[in-house]
Amino acid sequence: MLNDPVRPTSGARIPVKLHRRVCLVQTEDALLAEELLARKKLAQDIVGRLTDRVLLIRPGRVESVIQELQKMGHTPQVSTKDEGRRTK
Amino acid sequence: MYVADPAYWSDIQRQTLACYDEALLRQVAARLVKPRNQWPVEDLIERSAAATSNPVVIDRRLQDLTPPARRVLALIGHSRQPYWNLGSLVELTIALGHSDGLQPALELLEAGLLYPSLRCTAETPSTNGVAGKKIKSFEQWMGTPGPSGLLVFTPPQIAVRAIGEDLGLPDLSESERTAACGVAGNAKPQAAVQEADGLEWLLRLAVLWQQVSGAPLRRTQQGGFFKRDVERLQQDVLLNAAPADRLADVPDAAFLAIALAEQERMIEEVEGEWRAGPLPPVWDKGLTAALESLWMDLPRLSAWNPLDGWRGGEPQTGNPFPSAYLLAFLLLARLPEGASVRPETIEEWILTQHPYWTSESLRPSRQKPWLGTFLLGVAYQLRLVQAVRAPTAPTGETPVPPSTDRRDAGPTGWRVRLSPTGRWLLGLAEAPSLETVYTQTLLVQPNLQILAYRQGLSSSLIARLTQLAAWENLGAACTLQLQPETVYRALEAGQTFDSIRLTLEQHGTRSLPPAVLDSLRTWSNKRDRITLYPSATLLEFGSAEDLNEALARGLPAVRLSDRLAVVVSEEAIEFRHFRLTGTRDYALPPEKCVHVEADGVTLSVDLARSDLLLETEIPRFAELVGGSTADGRRQFRLTPASLSAGRSAGVTLTTLETWFHQRAGQQLPPAARLLMTAGLAEPPRLRRHLVLHVVDEDLADGLVQWPQTRELIEERLGPTALVVAEENVAALRERLSAAGITIATI
Repeated sequence: MLNDPVRPTSGARIPVKLHRRVCLVQTEDALLAEELLARKKLAQDIVGRLTDRVLLIRPGRVESVIQELQKMGHTPQVSTKDEGRRTK
Repeated sequence: MYVADPAYWSDIQRQTLACYDEALLRQVAARLVKPRNQWPVEDLIERSAAATSNPVVIDRRLQDLTPPARRVLALIGHSRQPYWNLGSLVELTIALGHSDGLQPALELLEAGLLYPSLRCTAETPSTNGVAGKKIKSFEQWMGTPGPSGLLVFTPPQIAVRAIGEDLGLPDLSESERTAACGVAGNAKPQAAVQEADGLEWLLRLAVLWQQVSGAPLRRTQQGGFFKRDVERLQQDVLLNAAPADRLADVPDAAFLAIALAEQERMIEEVEGEWRAGPLPPVWDKGLTAALESLWMDLPRLSAWNPLDGWRGGEPQTGNPFPSAYLLAFLLLARLPEGASVRPETIEEWILTQHPYWTSESLRPSRQKPWLGTFLLGVAYQLRLVQAVRAPTAPTGETPVPPSTDRRDAGPTGWRVRLSPTGRWLLGLAEAPSLETVYTQTLLVQPNLQILAYRQGLSSSLIARLTQLAAWENLGAACTLQLQPETVYRALEAGQTFDSIRLTLEQHGTRSLPPAVLDSLRTWSNKRDRITLYPSATLLEFGSAEDLNEALARGLPAVRLSDRLAVVVSEEAIEFRHFRLTGTRDYALPPEKCVHVEADGVTLSVDLARSDLLLETEIPRFAELVGGSTADGRRQFRLTPASLSAGRSAGVTLTTLETWFHQRAGQQLPPAARLLMTAGLAEPPRLRRHLVLHVVDEDLADGLVQWPQTRELIEERLGPTALVVAEENVAALRERLSAAGITIATI
């Protein structure tokens, strides 16, 4: 998505685009991602699939996604900035 | 628990002094730092905050105070609780024999050794009325109390210097000796002295934390709990069960646990619900630190007291119990070495000295005994006091058994004295060693049940067990149950499969059964299948090489694809390695980053301003055209096929209109609308027409209006163009001829 004709040489600054406060779900494998996408209630909150294992969640829908994942019997590992993990 | 760091308190002092009016600030600083010049306000605040961190200065200022004021500071120092309600300090002063209870507090405020609590943050308990306004005088501040009354604080480094001041409290063992002719006050220490292990309330708090983790407690607007939650708490077997070494019943024990948990911030109010917070970090520092924290909570308890039990949600006008608790402990501290006293004796003294109970208007219901309940039910289990069985009567009769009716007679039959822990908490002795020497105290059974022998438990082990297993029984031997949910909770709190295994093996009396290990491993692995980042920072690189280079430079990110990586916290990024080509905050509304070209179907995306949502939205209804342009834009095109695919995937005309409004800042272009709705409209028809062109609009209007010609004209195509059917041409020519118009044929 970025097209910088100048390659960063050693020590040069690397061009990067930051996406802040993004909500993502990363699955162990692509099959599990398919399983999540097939879940109707979950699919409403998934706005896209960035890679075969990474799903982009609609902003503000984190709690409902966690609840739905738990309903499905999953135990998602929630990574937050405070301590890396948090208790649900 | 409040921090003892002087810098923390200096900061709060600065903020408080900044709320003083300049005249008041100069008045306080004149006594605290004794400035020789007219310093600016900022300097005065800074020097005042610095002065309270200087022990020599503090000692000098303490010597300047009157004895009653020094006693107030000493009382605060003994309590270790920096925050006190002004009313409680007044009660304590009067109970110590000073008729004007307010004057010492006022003297301390004016001396800069006591401060009104004005901040309203998570760290400080509450705020008082004048928030946002400068305090002109302390009398003015006292005249505008907030909803929680008037709260004052003194930094611990000040209060601790006042410990040792003679409080003038009597030795009550002497009065007992006098009353009982030397029998009662001489209970021999070796005769059945009991001291609790101090774990009971930690275990109950742990149980409560698990209960609230499972289902939050909902609060009413009045501050009480919903009926269902009240019943749940009242019926909880573990929270309401009597301790194994019960000496007195505690009213509403489950609610006392709530009150303590609130002070410990184990439960937090979020949107009208009490939810589980983190377990107290102080538990990891050992039992003494955990008990110290609970000791400091006692003066802050307002929703529970030993006379009424739970009073949450009820409007409260004054709370005499915090001051009475402290007086009771200080009276115990006055006893000679090894002596003990009946709780009733202390209570009698409090009833005759404490202004709340000496009030003539006190209702009889408030005069019922309560101190025995507190000392033997709460303080004993907190390891603050030791219980001594009442001495055998001279005639050889058996000791009076402890009463179970706290309301009528009080828990008689026991005498109390301070424990080493209680003496240390009052600042009168060195810290005792409470740490257990038995480390192997768990028996993990194949059915996933854990038997925890209490003598080997420590506060840190209780915290770890609370996270990973559910408490099922509290007694001399406690039982816990390992469950998928509890193990998941432990993993979420930062534990790992290995740390859980290590805890169970380190403290286990036997090796872990294979079935337990398998279960733990299965539950742990299952959790690793899905990782959710609720608010992460995604880094999008221009190429895979750039991402590799960033990782090689130490970027602590998780690779998601060849060009995408995610970090949990942006603080972990060293920005000196990067040049930002764009940023996008997903908590903000979508940004306009699409330009619609003149053809209405070509969309140019500004890559510096676009986001991942756009990247996933736009391919649903448009096709990518080539690569990125030189000016950092990427082009997509709306085609019949792309829009048809979009319709199949659920994209509607309304969706598209909204999307164009949000992303392009304009309405859906006609060309795009055409492509979107083309398949839905009636199919167009191709027909031949014979068109009559007239010279001007008036003539065309006349032909359309005149009945003779109107019926021969099929349709008006434009201002001067009329459609005529071929079979009507002759008739039209004839009628126009009659009107003097000749049709020319080309």
